[in-house]
Amino acid sequence: MTSCGTTGLAQAAAEAVREASREPRLATCGDVLAMLLERGLGDVLATPASGRDDEEADPRGVPDGAQPAAAADAAARLAALLACQPGIAAFVSLSGQTVYHAPELLSRTYALILDRKDSPIALVAEEIRTNSRDYPRPVPVKLFEAPPFDLSPEEIEAVLRAMAAGAAYQDITFAATTNGAVYLFSSLHLKREYAAFLAERAETLVLNP
Amino acid sequence: MAATSGGFAGKVLRVDLSTGKIGIQDTIERYEAVLGGAGLGYRVLWDEVPAGTGPFDPANKLVFAAGALVGTSVPCNGRATVTTIFPTCWPRPLVGSGHMGGHFAAKLKYAGYDALIVEGRADKPVWIMIRDARVEIRDAGHLWGSGIRRTTLELSQEMGPDCVVAAIGQAGENQAPMGMVINSVSHSAGGVGGVMGAKNLKAVAVQGSGAVRIAGDKAEWEKLIKFHLSILGGNNQHVVPSFPTPQAEYYNPASRWVGQPGRRWGAAKPPVELAGDIYDLNRIAYRTNSAAYFLGGEAWKYTVRGNGCTACPIRCHTMLRVPSVTVRYGIPDMAQNTCIALQFGRMFFKQPGDGKGGEAAIEACMVGMHLADDMGLWSNYGQLQRDLRKLYEGGYLKTRLGSKEYASIPWDKYENGDPAFLLDIIPRIANRQGELGDVLSRGTGAIFDHWSIPEAEWARDRTTTYWKMGHPKHHANEDDGQCGVIINTQYNRDAQCHSHTNFVRNGLPLEIQRKLAAAIWGSPDALDAPGDYTPANVYKAKRARWSLVRKELHDALGVCNWMGPWVASPRWERGYAGDDSLESRFLSLATGRAIDREELDRAGERIFTLHRALTIRDMGQVDMRSKHDLVPPWVFEDPNGAAPFTKGTTRMDPADIALAMDLFYEIMGWDKATGAPTGERYASLGLGDVGEALRVGKLTPESGR
Repeated sequence: MTSCGTTGLAQAAAEAVREASREPRLATCGDVLAMLLERGLGDVLATPASGRDDEEADPRGVPDGAQPAAAADAAARLAALLACQPGIAAFVSLSGQTVYHAPELLSRTYALILDRKDSPIALVAEEIRTNSRDYPRPVPVKLFEAPPFDLSPEEIEAVLRAMAAGAAYQDITFAATTNGAVYLFSSLHLKREYAAFLAERAETLVLNP
Repeated sequence: MAATSGGFAGKVLRVDLSTGKIGIQDTIERYEAVLGGAGLGYRVLWDEVPAGTGPFDPANKLVFAAGALVGTSVPCNGRATVTTIFPTCWPRPLVGSGHMGGHFAAKLKYAGYDALIVEGRADKPVWIMIRDARVEIRDAGHLWGSGIRRTTLELSQEMGPDCVVAAIGQAGENQAPMGMVINSVSHSAGGVGGVMGAKNLKAVAVQGSGAVRIAGDKAEWEKLIKFHLSILGGNNQHVVPSFPTPQAEYYNPASRWVGQPGRRWGAAKPPVELAGDIYDLNRIAYRTNSAAYFLGGEAWKYTVRGNGCTACPIRCHTMLRVPSVTVRYGIPDMAQNTCIALQFGRMFFKQPGDGKGGEAAIEACMVGMHLADDMGLWSNYGQLQRDLRKLYEGGYLKTRLGSKEYASIPWDKYENGDPAFLLDIIPRIANRQGELGDVLSRGTGAIFDHWSIPEAEWARDRTTTYWKMGHPKHHANEDDGQCGVIINTQYNRDAQCHSHTNFVRNGLPLEIQRKLAAAIWGSPDALDAPGDYTPANVYKAKRARWSLVRKELHDALGVCNWMGPWVASPRWERGYAGDDSLESRFLSLATGRAIDREELDRAGERIFTLHRALTIRDMGQVDMRSKHDLVPPWVFEDPNGAAPFTKGTTRMDPADIALAMDLFYEIMGWDKATGAPTGERYASLGLGDVGEALRVGKLTPESGR
């Protein structure tokens, strides 16, 4: 197994992640391996390591034309390489794959939004929960119409209906302000009275310049 | 020191309009201890304007002052203060400063002056021409009666395109206490226009061909400038964008950093699309669009560009082009401003015709800006508009104004949110026309006096946001609990302090804010979340003191307290910390005299204490605590009856605020019973002469007892 650190391959792998982050895009091991192979740098990874146990490998990172076992081995070795690269972070995506990003170029916040883009319910619910927990604050429903969420009003309505019906989302609720704006929050982290206060405050900040 | 080594221009210009005498003083010899700006203004008033002088008396003085950092390359350095006996302070005029950005302050420095002190009263309308060493009092007969735009144009044509004109409009000429002076088209200092008018001073126009010398190492200076730029956020130092973006860990939909890639300045020719790295130090100006923030997303399509002050990359004065206003209201289709002044017209209405961000609302803003910035009418931080609304909606006008005058006002247009209402009401006030126009032109205190309305009717009503002495709150308990309350008790006009609120509203998560607070003020408990207030503590009092001192320092150095201080930053690698010693590092390099943060803060405290001394002297009252540092009743109430310290209320507790004031006075080294500095405190701040004069007048806590 290639040792972790400053080898040219490790640095190239990290640069591939950075390149994806600049776009911005999350990178799987398969993405990184494909980028390395394109540049003629991935052959060493694509060759199975002797005596390696294949059960650690991630079969979803299969490069075109490679044997599954070899690909899994390559992915595992790549993961080990990336794990100790400074400035590279990873998390398990909604799909179950480990994905990589360079936080300096692609923050964890934005990376999580990208990861959830194909699952609007998770996207909206987790953004609401994060805001309620971390800042803490409710968020205006119109937030989800704007980039990077880019949901249409109809999609948002569908998401809210689905959450209202789903047991896993019963903490997601809303407060309406006196000017008719709707703010969403998680009751796990914000009490209704306080969320309503914060929503009203947010709507009137422009009149308190 | 007779000559300046750097930072200061070195000279103060005096113009006596009564005698025509023009003189020069050394800045540093006389004013170094108070730095410049408002500090210099307070010192002039203390030394030269006797207690009891009225704002429009010839004996009152107008001190236009820059600061040691003005005209350098320090970001956000374009501030000028105009210190005088402030005419809207009620029930008696007291010291106050108007503040304006733009380019007047820098031009004054380039002409060789740190300040211009205007004395006396001309016997006919005049303007002051400053072209480096050449200073003349010139006839302004042909300009009297003109608006600010025409005056600016005429004087610019006379002097040349590189001059800066600070002029008054009709409101100032009519000696309206609500008059303001404006330079560079849109940069206003409220409340001082009438004082200029009383002196028959239409304008000051400045051309300067010099520069400000930096005494310190050039490379160090450039490095510090780059560093400062790197810790800037958007407008009001909101350090996170309002939108999620790949490069930011945090965002805040309420942030004034609204320049999201993909947005367009739609009225620019050709339109400018915002793109690229939002952290690029050469693209900071794209972060802010005050119109989009205050008026809503529709404003992007009317945006021409951002405009602003000397060396300020923030560009908070958003220039708008709205063609429909020319056809509908016969006014120019371009206007620019920020904050309250941007909303001057819209704020008259309870609800503009088509809602907050609709066309009528934007048109109301355009009409309001056009009229107010030409006639030179100040809003008193929106109190003018709230006053009119309360007077009308509360039925006061119906019963107090003569029926003929009442009927002459187009209330139907007010009711419909029609911007055409502004074409009637703003000139009415600026021209002091009729009873209503005259009363409103004199400020909120005149409403109480003229119509015998008890002040309490305003002070009990939170919708007025009225605080005290004729002025509203300016970021008080609604933003910052006890800290905001303390700050709002201290001035003779609205507090105009942003040190505290720019931190509270910076957009970072509470835990990070509290971590930064611990590093700066000694404890995370220096800060609460909005509406989740905990009882007063010494750290909040320290933060209030710091906020006030930094405000005074900024006003004295000529940097913008609307944009600073810079103790939080967008930089995750710094843990979002800014730099609390930035001002002292800049001043040290500019002047070549090392001054650390503590020493500079002491200078700020000296300036603030001088303001306090002037207030005590001119009120003839040592008991500031019960006679001056007042809190309106609405602060102690909640519309829903929520108790203080419950989540979701800004209601304060009277006993807790009393404790907060105790803690604040103690930290200031002031007497807790009276809230007045002791003789010893004056002396320790280098204000021994001030303390002695107050002692003789029995206006120190010791002598008064």
